[in-house]
Amino acid sequence: MKEAQIYKDRRYRINELRAKNEKMTSRERCLKAINFEEPDRVPIDNWMVPEIKKRCMEYWGCENEEELLAFLGVDVRDNYGPSYVGQEFKTFDDGTVADLWGVRRKVVTYGKGTPHEGTFKEVAWSPLEHMTTVEEIESYESWPSPDWWDYSKVKAECAYWHPQYFVLNKGDRLDRTAQLKPMMYLRGIQQTFIDLIRNPEIVVCIRDHIVNYFVEYNPKVFEAGGGEIDMFMMGDDMGGQRGPLISVDMWRKYFGEAFRKYCDIAHKYGLKVMYHTCGDVYQLIPDFIANGLDMLQSVQPEATNMDIKRLKQEFGKDLSFQGGMSIQQVLPLGTTEDVRKMVQYAADSAKRGGGYIFGTAHNIQADTPIENVAALFEAYHEYGVY
Amino acid sequence: MSTLKTLSEYVEQGKGKEARALAQKLLGENISADRIVQEGLIAGLDAIGERYSRFEAFVPELMVAGMAAQEVLEVLRPKMTHGTLHKTSGTVVLGTVEGDVHDVGKNIVAMMLEGGGFKVIDLGVDVPVAKFLKEVKYQEADILALSALYSPTRLAMKETIQALKDEGIRDKVKVMVGGAPIDQAFADLIGADGYAPDAPQAVKLAKNLIG
Repeated sequence: MKEAQIYKDRRYRINELRAKNEKMTSRERCLKAINFEEPDRVPIDNWMVPEIKKRCMEYWGCENEEELLAFLGVDVRDNYGPSYVGQEFKTFDDGTVADLWGVRRKVVTYGKGTPHEGTFKEVAWSPLEHMTTVEEIESYESWPSPDWWDYSKVKAECAYWHPQYFVLNKGDRLDRTAQLKPMMYLRGIQQTFIDLIRNPEIVVCIRDHIVNYFVEYNPKVFEAGGGEIDMFMMGDDMGGQRGPLISVDMWRKYFGEAFRKYCDIAHKYGLKVMYHTCGDVYQLIPDFIANGLDMLQSVQPEATNMDIKRLKQEFGKDLSFQGGMSIQQVLPLGTTEDVRKMVQYAADSAKRGGGYIFGTAHNIQADTPIENVAALFEAYHEYGVY
Repeated sequence: MSTLKTLSEYVEQGKGKEARALAQKLLGENISADRIVQEGLIAGLDAIGERYSRFEAFVPELMVAGMAAQEVLEVLRPKMTHGTLHKTSGTVVLGTVEGDVHDVGKNIVAMMLEGGGFKVIDLGVDVPVAKFLKEVKYQEADILALSALYSPTRLAMKETIQALKDEGIRDKVKVMVGGAPIDQAFADLIGADGYAPDAPQAVKLAKNLIG
């Protein structure tokens, strides 16, 4: 940590609040929260794009990411599972790079030359997009295999964070346990929406390949974790800004069974399940709960029916939550006072009886002023205390 | 006519093949393309829009309805003078802003605007400000429609509106904006003429902006 006065001054408020409020380890805190007990304060999770992480490290005088997370009081540490030992991901002449599934991506820059410049890896080619039959899809040769991973270091990498921190096993965006998202990467978003109505047999075929991979892969990961994984996270995107992307009936038809399977596998290893989905999934929540979900992540506040107060009231007995902080509106465009009010509202609405972890609805984006990020974390410590 | 109503139902239900075949048949019976657009396409798209607003239809249903409208338009176009609908509701230049490559919502808007009688020039994704400017001028567009899904890219909408002002043509074109991170407050902030939260409402907004 840099010790110049300017950094000490910036760090003061968070240090002061933490010294006053914290009475247990991060791991203890999170375990209480996910088991519907009240810890000392609401636990904190952190999702940030790399550009923001860098600016935060500069702002608070942290030398590296772990110093930043440790200073901010972030309780969750991400574990990405086993190491990839399959064939190297191919790079093509057009600059695209293939991933585990054969989907190709290229780096796209946004906000060139502005303070909010950043990059994103965008899908550039979906290998199954122009196929028209199940036979063609079955002939695709790049389905991944759980044998492409070395599981031997999972336990030690998780144990590294114990006893202090809470270890969340999750893939990164490109290989997180899911159904619809990988399907959209493989087949194209537009074609997938068309398939859901016009080509159900193709939906089922692609889905089964995806599900078969994850139901074989995850037990190997959990087994290798040797009890050192604290929670499992999977993620899909089922919500639009207003309403789910698909109807409840369609979700039940295509995705309910494997959702249940994914939860059952994690539960068999004693792991609760966190599920990321952007958007308004209010109509789907009863089905998520019925199929085994423990914690809903994102709780995107601008999405139509995702007010955290209402969700806690209606579902808080059976479902815990992570998220509720606005990265579309309040954090990038609001004042620091707006940010504080947002945190206070979420804390007041959701912290009673445990079952809540602070988090942003998605990654804090590069268009966010650093003052608002500072206000967010200071407010977490101010309003999260029990 | 009951068969025009049937066509609107085919469009609403996304039955592209049936809609196309019926549109052919109706043209053969000398029903005008304008009537087919009004009572077949627009009626069908309005109906799916209504169901969408009531959470009875979702993105897949909107998508196939838009596609069914496209299939009907393919049949109608050769029958029109000059290869385009001879009486359009207006000209819309449309695209996803620079740095953003998302287009599913934009594509549904484009399909529904065309089905609603507009001439649509879709510039695709990652469209630089200069390209929007050029097309708006060249096409003498009535409306410029900007889309963004990724919140940091929406600031390019502000730059685009500023560029229209700098070019002296801001008052010659109406600007409408949409996409998940867009709301009325943002539209007001950047000086857009309108905002719509989804494709069906985008069509209504476009009609209002033309006036």
